Amino acid sequence: MRKHALNLGRVGAVLLLVWATLIWNSDRSVRAASLPRVSLNAEAIAPRPIEQRTGETVTRDYAHAWQDLAECLAGNRTDLLNDYFTGTAKQRLTQRIADQRKTGLRTVYVDHGHQVKAVFYSPDGGEMQLVDQAHIEVQVFDGQKAIYTANSPHKYLVLMTPGADRWYVRSLESIPDEAVKD
Amino acid sequence: MSRMIFKLRLLVVFLAVPALGQSISVRAPSSVSAGSPFSIATTGSGSGTFYLLGPNHVLKQTVQFGQDLQISGADVPASGSYQAIACDAGGCTNTAFYVRPATPARLSFLVHPSRVPVSAANAINATALVFDRFQDTVLAPTSVEFHFSPAGAASYSRSQTTNRGIAWLQMGSSAKQGPLKVVASVGESAEPRVIQQVASEACGLRMTAASSARNVRVETDPIRDCSGNPVPDGTIVSFTKIDRAGRSTVDTPIKKGVATAQFSVSGPARISLACGVVLGNEISIGGRP
Repeated sequence: MRKHALNLGRVGAVLLLVWATLIWNSDRSVRAASLPRVSLNAEAIAPRPIEQRTGETVTRDYAHAWQDLAECLAGNRTDLLNDYFTGTAKQRLTQRIADQRKTGLRTVYVDHGHQVKAVFYSPDGGEMQLVDQAHIEVQVFDGQKAIYTANSPHKYLVLMTPGADRWYVRSLESIPDEAVKD
Repeated sequence: MSRMIFKLRLLVVFLAVPALGQSISVRAPSSVSAGSPFSIATTGSGSGTFYLLGPNHVLKQTVQFGQDLQISGADVPASGSYQAIACDAGGCTNTAFYVRPATPARLSFLVHPSRVPVSAANAINATALVFDRFQDTVLAPTSVEFHFSPAGAASYSRSQTTNRGIAWLQMGSSAKQGPLKVVASVGESAEPRVIQQVASEACGLRMTAASSARNVRVETDPIRDCSGNPVPDGTIVSFTKIDRAGRSTVDTPIKKGVATAQFSVSGPARISLACGVVLGNEISIGGRP
């Protein structure tokens, strides 16, 4: 009887493990599938040219950052901000989410893609500045009530810095169209 | 009498209709600076909810339509795009406006590398990012002053104007080793950094040998770079001996400016010397000099 119970317990543990793996993988594939489209143009970058591998990494990490940003603002959660944000960008988003939570608001981004121009790459490879022309649909909800909807292009000035295995968004500032020539 | 009452009622309804139909609106100033107070004009009547959404702040409060809303500087601490939204029972209206960065107040200054060999062209990179007191990137072109103070030499300055908040320059190291202090400044904000300029590769590397019956002791002259700076203690010098027994290498650090080594030799031998990529002289022992 006791042996039977032990076996049942083992089977249960295995099933739980399989289920957890499936959930984890499906969540990862859903997240990967919903990565925003980011195209990087580094023709005008100065003073240092960008290596192809670095360009690919920056593009991928910037897309991940926007995916995390959208999830955090929609769900008023800050845990995902640790993965691709640092410095001022992380502080500001954390504060915005805290305020949203306090006021009962949430912001939903429908991301239609980013045309990114890399404009500065420091000679030592420590900082990269990007200008992002983003096409984002924004909806703001107070509880269940939609209080704001906009579907217009937004321009961002972005500062990214390299970490051990990825590039982090250190600064993400919305700027007026005429503020910088790109 | 009843006609009179009817006319009065009609008048009341006539006067009330525009008020009932009047929609709400919000109007923000065209230019707002980060951290500065301003007002948002509202039209309409009755009360509702006002929202101010910014990059790092959300404000939600009750609004009396038809009155101006006073927004404090603390509610617009970051530059960027803001949305002012007002809602009543009939729906919501909004306006977007841009908050400009305030005046330059802070610098983020990065200098690379922290140690650099002397007389190296374009070896030092200095990058300064200019922010206002709220950590907003100052987009307006701003002049950043870079002041260089090499040890034992005259100071000099260079000025660079920011582009999208960044000023950078590249320069060579001086011929004399020692600390090089670099200060970047904008307005009253100044950020100092120190780069250690160290001797470059050895130059004119030479050694002398003193041989006894079976041993040879070799010692270098004081090791200096081409500008006369002593190559730092700890730098590895390699002595290589080739004789009948084969090839033998001794790697030894510079101590008090010189490097020494001792070999046992069997028959004629040749000893050579190298430090980094620089080769020194070669000595023949027990044979022709």
